[in-house]
Amino acid sequence: MDQQLHGIPPVPVDKSKLVTKSSSANNLSTFLFEPNELVDYEKALRWQQNWQKRLIFGPETAQAVWLLEHPICYTMGKGASQKNLLFDPNTSPWPLYRINRGGEATCHLPGQLVAYPILDLRRYTTDLHWYLRKLEDVLIDVLANLELHGERVKGLTGLWINGQKVAAIGVGCRRWITQHGFSLNINCEMESFKKVVPCGLINHPVGKLNDWIPGLTIKEVKPLLTRSLEKQFSLKWQQIGPMERTEDFATPIQMIHKKNFKDENH
Amino acid sequence: MATHDIFMPALSSTMTEGKIVEWLKKPGDKVGRGESVLVVESDKADMDVESFQEGYLAAVLMPAGSTAPVGETIGLIVESEDEIASAQEKAPQPSSKESPQETSSTSEQPQSTPTQASSSQISNTDNSKNTTQQSSIKAPQVVNTGRIIASPKAKKLASQKGVDLSTVLGSGPHGRIQLEDVEKANGQPISVPWVAESNAPASIAVSNSVSKATVSNNQPATAESLLGKSFGTAGEIIAFNTLQQAVNRNMEASLATPCFHVGYTISTDKLDELYKEVKPKGVTMTALLAKAVGLTLARHPQVNASTSPEGMSYPNQINIAVAVAMEDGGLITPVLQNVDQTNLSDLSTQWSDLVKRSRTKQLQPEEYSSGTFTLSNLGMFGVDRFDAILPPGTGAILAVAASRPVVIANKDGSISVRRQMQVNLTADHRVIYGADGAAFLKDLADLIENRTESMLS
Repeated sequence: MDQQLHGIPPVPVDKSKLVTKSSSANNLSTFLFEPNELVDYEKALRWQQNWQKRLIFGPETAQAVWLLEHPICYTMGKGASQKNLLFDPNTSPWPLYRINRGGEATCHLPGQLVAYPILDLRRYTTDLHWYLRKLEDVLIDVLANLELHGERVKGLTGLWINGQKVAAIGVGCRRWITQHGFSLNINCEMESFKKVVPCGLINHPVGKLNDWIPGLTIKEVKPLLTRSLEKQFSLKWQQIGPMERTEDFATPIQMIHKKNFKDENH
Repeated sequence: MATHDIFMPALSSTMTEGKIVEWLKKPGDKVGRGESVLVVESDKADMDVESFQEGYLAAVLMPAGSTAPVGETIGLIVESEDEIASAQEKAPQPSSKESPQETSSTSEQPQSTPTQASSSQISNTDNSKNTTQQSSIKAPQVVNTGRIIASPKAKKLASQKGVDLSTVLGSGPHGRIQLEDVEKANGQPISVPWVAESNAPASIAVSNSVSKATVSNNQPATAESLLGKSFGTAGEIIAFNTLQQAVNRNMEASLATPCFHVGYTISTDKLDELYKEVKPKGVTMTALLAKAVGLTLARHPQVNASTSPEGMSYPNQINIAVAVAMEDGGLITPVLQNVDQTNLSDLSTQWSDLVKRSRTKQLQPEEYSSGTFTLSNLGMFGVDRFDAILPPGTGAILAVAASRPVVIANKDGSISVRRQMQVNLTADHRVIYGADGAAFLKDLADLIENRTESMLS
């Protein structure tokens, strides 16, 4: 129903064209952060924003990828319609964040693996649609490794198995430095998704990998995702040093809207 | 005093329009350089659009939630607080959905030129996809040291040609390395867009280098066998870049205009003589032709008029747009202002500045959209005749072919050799009739053949 909403349909990208430029080959080094405990949405967002700033002001800075799980919360893109929240935003059962990524409302929760690649698209190709398709490629790869067939749906962004949406994608970008990313439902409970219209798609049931592979855990999927990201974006994983280990590196930044939903122009 | 436009950026090579999600600033707010002003969305991707200037957001022309074509002006930034009011006054009403014809027909043409307000990364990437295949050419490893800021195309070319970017001096905003800087560093002749600078047939060597760069590995043809330009290789489909899309829209719009063509053959011996005389002073053939046309238009205001919804519209000035093909596809029409009132050397200076800045995509909208008459010259290719498509918002365009020696039978029965060129006028018949066009051409021919000295005044 919402074909319109997402505007331009995916364009197949010839992979042979995605060879990265040799001049920037040394720039594809990337830190991989895999916090073991659940990470509050705000904290993860702050990490991303700080890293985005690092990349903006230091074009030689290494890129970063976070793979993590959030405690339950809802997020919605700034362009998202409140109609897709099936509850009163002021009495949200869980924290609700309005964020600067594309896309509609979605739900994050334990059992869902979230990936936040902070990549400098100038090191690849400055094309956000290319990037969206590339993230789908990453997910298709991961599922193929699990012998699942992930499908694209024409005109939409995300990944489906047998008509059930298992992965949601939404990205933000500033000076071609990305933030946000995708979430892959693995063994999460699905009730909370019923309180929103995920990605604004009515009649698109949401699924999790557990439905096809019972007993599958995040721990098993993480290495597959790591490898696939590495392959699709030619990432060179960097040793994490003491600088990167510190919890909240760099400067504090202004926070987005918190638990209690407020209007944009505060 | 300056007003800077904020344009709808291209988030992707396939994007034709974007949705404004949110204005992060309100009209009147102070804006720092590099500060995000609004958020634009396409598909599931958001992009923060930053201001390239420090100043004040004077006007929001498209409100949040609305959709605008790539390259459209969506907001205005002024440098000082005092300018806010005047910029707001001049600005079109926000999201005037009913009258986009007016603003878009004039500003649509070269939509990918914005570099002003949206970040330069945005505006320089419109055709990243068109050229992606070039990256398959093997290039020697380039070692970068220090902080290097270069346009994607410059980086690409540098990697193809093995130019070390750390040794290249950038001429772009804030020392950013542009494509032409890399070309210069590589010792390549700068491939100027095919600007008509002479009526003599030019060598087509320029496009040779283009085709070489465009040939990709899977193309069996050798670079040398490819003389013409190609954006893709056999079997491929290449998306139009933003500028090409803008041109396409304009060309399609012309189908709604009832046009006719009228041609004339003009002897150019006197013009060539004059050119020889003024060339050392830096006067170009483009300036000469524009001047001749401008002076003639001053005597034929009907040919400078255009169709508007209210009727025949007579502009206050004679502004001649000159079509310039862009290396990477599409074309742009930099405008020589007030041509009949401006002397040749000023016109030449104006022109070289416009060409320089159109190469780096730094033209302001009024510099490419304010033409009242268009000139298209393929003379340098030796073309003997062609006709042009009328750009929307104007009444006529003149196609100028090459000047070549022709054997002439004179009235007294004698035979002589003269240089002649054919010109062909395409005109909107609603405003300009055959007789108007013919009279204009006759007068233009008379000026070029007999009254060239009037161009010097």
